[in-house]
Amino acid sequence: MRAIFALLSIVLPAVLPSCREAPAPQTGAALYAQQCAACHGANGEGVADEYDEPLWGSESPAALARYIHKSMPEGDETAVVDDEAALVAAYIHDAFYSPEARARRRPPRVELTRLTNNQFRQSLVDLIGSFYRVPDITRRGGLSARYFNSEKMAKQKTHVLDRVDPAVDFDFGTGSPAPGVTQKAFSITWSGSILAPESGHYQFRLRTRNGATLHLNSVAGEGGGSWSEGAFIDAYVSSNNEVRERTGRMFLLGGRAYPLHLEFFSYQEERSLIRLEWKPPHGTWSPVPPEQLSPDRGAPLAVISTPFPPDDRSLGYERGSSISGQWHEAATTGAVEAVNLIVKHLGQLVGEDGRDDPEKLKSFCFTFADRAFRRPLDAGQRRFFVARHFEDSPPEAALRKSLLLTLTSPRFLYPGLCENDGPPDHHTVAARLALGLWDSLPDDSLREAAARGRLGDIEKVRNYAGHMMRDPRTRQKVREFFHHWLAMDEREDLGKDPDLFPGFDPLVIADLRTSLERFIEDVVWSEASDYRELLRADYLFLNDRLAGFYEAPPLPEAGFVKVTLPGEPRAGVLTHPFLLSANAYHDNTSPIHRGVFLSQNILGRLLKPPPEAIAFKNDDFDPSLTMREKVTELTREESCMQCHAVINPIGFSLENFDAVGRFRTEENRKPLNTVSDYVTGDDRAVRLASARDLAALAIESPSAHRALVSHLFHHLIKQSPEAYAPGTVDSLREKFVESGYNMRELIVEVVVRASLHPRAGARTAAAAPNP
Amino acid sequence: MNRNRRQFLRDLGLSAGALPFVAGLPSLGAVGEARKQRLIIVFSPNGTLPGNFWPDQPGPLATLRPILEPLAPFKERMLLLKGLANRVGGDGDGHMRGMSCLLTGDKLLPGNIQGGSHTPAGWASSISIDQELKNFLQGREATRTRFGSLEFGVAVPDRADPWTRMVYAGSNKPVAPVDDPYQMLGKLYGSVQDKETLGSILDDLGDDLETVARRISAEDRRFLEDHLALVRSLEAELQRETTKDLVHPEPELDPNIELVNDNTPRISRMQIDLLVNAMANDMTRIATLQFMRSVGQARMRWLDIEEGHHSLSHEPDKNEEAQKKLLRINHWFAGEVAHLAARLRDTPEPGGPGSMLDHTTILWTNELGKGNSHSHHDIPFVLLGNGAGFRMGRSLDFGGTPHNRLWLTIADAFGHHLGHFGQESLCAGGPLDLA
Repeated sequence: MRAIFALLSIVLPAVLPSCREAPAPQTGAALYAQQCAACHGANGEGVADEYDEPLWGSESPAALARYIHKSMPEGDETAVVDDEAALVAAYIHDAFYSPEARARRRPPRVELTRLTNNQFRQSLVDLIGSFYRVPDITRRGGLSARYFNSEKMAKQKTHVLDRVDPAVDFDFGTGSPAPGVTQKAFSITWSGSILAPESGHYQFRLRTRNGATLHLNSVAGEGGGSWSEGAFIDAYVSSNNEVRERTGRMFLLGGRAYPLHLEFFSYQEERSLIRLEWKPPHGTWSPVPPEQLSPDRGAPLAVISTPFPPDDRSLGYERGSSISGQWHEAATTGAVEAVNLIVKHLGQLVGEDGRDDPEKLKSFCFTFADRAFRRPLDAGQRRFFVARHFEDSPPEAALRKSLLLTLTSPRFLYPGLCENDGPPDHHTVAARLALGLWDSLPDDSLREAAARGRLGDIEKVRNYAGHMMRDPRTRQKVREFFHHWLAMDEREDLGKDPDLFPGFDPLVIADLRTSLERFIEDVVWSEASDYRELLRADYLFLNDRLAGFYEAPPLPEAGFVKVTLPGEPRAGVLTHPFLLSANAYHDNTSPIHRGVFLSQNILGRLLKPPPEAIAFKNDDFDPSLTMREKVTELTREESCMQCHAVINPIGFSLENFDAVGRFRTEENRKPLNTVSDYVTGDDRAVRLASARDLAALAIESPSAHRALVSHLFHHLIKQSPEAYAPGTVDSLREKFVESGYNMRELIVEVVVRASLHPRAGARTAAAAPNP
Repeated sequence: MNRNRRQFLRDLGLSAGALPFVAGLPSLGAVGEARKQRLIIVFSPNGTLPGNFWPDQPGPLATLRPILEPLAPFKERMLLLKGLANRVGGDGDGHMRGMSCLLTGDKLLPGNIQGGSHTPAGWASSISIDQELKNFLQGREATRTRFGSLEFGVAVPDRADPWTRMVYAGSNKPVAPVDDPYQMLGKLYGSVQDKETLGSILDDLGDDLETVARRISAEDRRFLEDHLALVRSLEAELQRETTKDLVHPEPELDPNIELVNDNTPRISRMQIDLLVNAMANDMTRIATLQFMRSVGQARMRWLDIEEGHHSLSHEPDKNEEAQKKLLRINHWFAGEVAHLAARLRDTPEPGGPGSMLDHTTILWTNELGKGNSHSHHDIPFVLLGNGAGFRMGRSLDFGGTPHNRLWLTIADAFGHHLGHFGQESLCAGGPLDLA
């Protein structure tokens, strides 16, 4: 399979009639108006049927001047040269070309947005969860196991052994599972929690020769109600002692713990076997690893399973900036699903004695709406959303109406509508902090801080945000930031040609993803939380399987271990095999994919779409050529090189790493040449010879820092940073550098700034009376 | 269940509106199709008392024995089949095979479930007759219904084993009965209820959106105006729909019945109401109604009986006290079957002549012929109603014929001509002649 890729260029093709007879004007603006505007528009906006792309980008004035001198106007390239080219370049750069100029011309504003799909689900889990106890699950490493010397579980007198099992993956064969347990008849229960590393559909598979029942995200097995119907996977009755497989699928939100209870028994059967496997999103079938299991039992969570259409990502980050019939349907169905869950488990939420007590139900609805709307309701709202339904309808019907009206209300769905005008009050700050760091609603502690007026000044708010950083929801949101920033989810299939890369199988790929996540977590949540470490670390996290594939020395222990591979100049995420493989062809490296990815996401260069799409066809080239030679040949046109002068050197500097990220020093028996000269956005020439040079460049480059800050701001706040104040990105960048490139402090700073931003008037409904 | 909801619907002039995103509702069976037929299999456990059940002689039904006395009003529409035996054999104890081979007519798979005697066993190895007929009816446009089959339970313990399942979608594929009437109501009408609640708040929601929109900038307001338009169009969509979909309104269930043993009589009636209602609305033509389970220990305190049913059924014939209690228990089951038959008799056939009972066959059975001997001979089979076109009002004795042949007969009556069903060797002679 040959991937089709697009070449990228900033070429500005235009056909312009010559205007030689006019006297040469002396300003860039006048020159532009005379020579360029006919095709590019008065303000660079483009002209239909001429050149309709707007003129904007991140090139320096000097680079623009060189280009104009050489190639513009098209068809009359000598009309604007030398000093005049520089004048035009300086003019357009300042007037509309640069990002700063664009922001100045059309200042972005803080837009009204709805909850993203993820925010909708997270908010409902926490809203419903705020009415019962959800314990923190901190221990990791496996499940609590109880072994019984009888096929009857929970028979105390046959209870033999308690321990923590790191995984449920046992083939006891014809033997006994543990000392003191007879093979003839025994049973085991495993209980604890399962930790979902990301949001999405999980598949679970129970393989057994015997009897087993799995409960997930329910509390069955030890009394109490359950959030799901009965057993999630029922394989209680065996069949001829043969291995059976039963599967189930469940939507889980990442970063949260779900209670799990697995019962297993073997009775008069020759062989015994039990295995619990899963297939997480982006993963492959494997036993659930110990890091994702806890021996502590969590509480079931109200995860809404209604499918949603994907959110808008046209600006590179998910945001709730559009509504469609499909979204409205999903949000309405999701609200109905939530109301049904609440009614079903009302006893747990209001107490068994409250189910039939109208006063208790009404009071539940008041609290529910307060929390959903992120501030206490006023008298009119209390009546509109709650009280009058209890006058008109029997209690359960009133409850259903009130809850459904609350959950479909714009006050829940559009968090901005609950904010006050002018400087934010305590409730507004609490709501913004929770949305920024958790994608959810304020918890008890934040609500209390707001109610007691403790979110009044920046130091207190910073302090609160600091506390919130320790919450697993923050970790999850930060993890998702890296998925976006490093485009980890854009290529679903990393598989390679098995003849060329034997052993690079789905298990290796899944482990690579884990390895990259471990590395990022290790850096971000270390004391220093140093961005530079992300780019320059010379080690990888490897487990046994990866150590084998990447030819590392044997590992000292099981699980993922930090390993520095001798003689390999690795550089953090830049050379992580997951990203090197993701940005490579099926059968070869792709310096272009790697170059585009790193120049845009890491170095912050703005690249325009290519003037024409050209497919890279390996077969068109002399097979003895190196990849570098092929790419150089393919992109040698001047129009290509406008962008490929940026892309290629970056890609070539990583040619020491093959399509699966293994280190190499030659290709086609030729020594690799990784050296090129790269010109930065501010027009400095830098020699790039290796990934480490690239890392050094990203570490000291302000545009790289700005790219990080912007990506992070978008991900956390889901608005443009420039909407908050001109120069927001630069001032955040300065603080970031001062802090020693501390990622966690940057996150806190972003959220604190957004949380304290005063709202312009006439946009809030917080105090709006109801009809 | 919720009077106010009805009130509201009347006010709005709508009910059961179809939203595009909730399951489709049942539609009225097309008029003019081939004669409609239904099958309801009722199960009660732990054997009967032969002396208080079977008439002395085969032939026209005269006075019914005490257990069957509640069915007297249906004598002319009743057929008693004696002399049918579950001859399947194989692994599993008598109760297990009685239950899981009853509707399948085939052996149990080897497995890990140990009974009080005999070898351990697993699930049934083939499909049950109700599911076979469901697949047959669902395979044809004219007889296809929303659910195809519904599995009702009454006081079925929350466990999955061969004593507790009689319905099988195939080998190793038990189907659990729903013994919670509220869950069944949700399955049948849940989406309707949701739509009603939704319909009742949309107007308020529109007002809320308008209120909020007035307070924000023009640029942001456009967003909310789009949202409002979607709410208004949903409202209009709901209002276009009328009650035309349902022939019979959703039944009103008493909302406060706890699912505990002592409420079994009320739960039974709720389930029967739902069953008749679902069939009246043509949501299904096949249903099973499973009371408890084989070896079930229901304590029928509503009959003044404190002992568990299974323990009583093990008492020897000479224990007169136990015999009296077992008589009351089986009499009670017959009363529930009679109630089901009466509900069908009293409901006119929608879109057709006669009553629903004229188009329905109720088949009441048990996993054992006699409790204390665990006999699989003379399993009680009571047929009620005129759905299958059998000649009713009599009792027949087949003298030990495998019960597989009864399933061939029932299938035949539905126009589904099976060469064999379950174990082939037990099908020799083909369908029984009941016409």
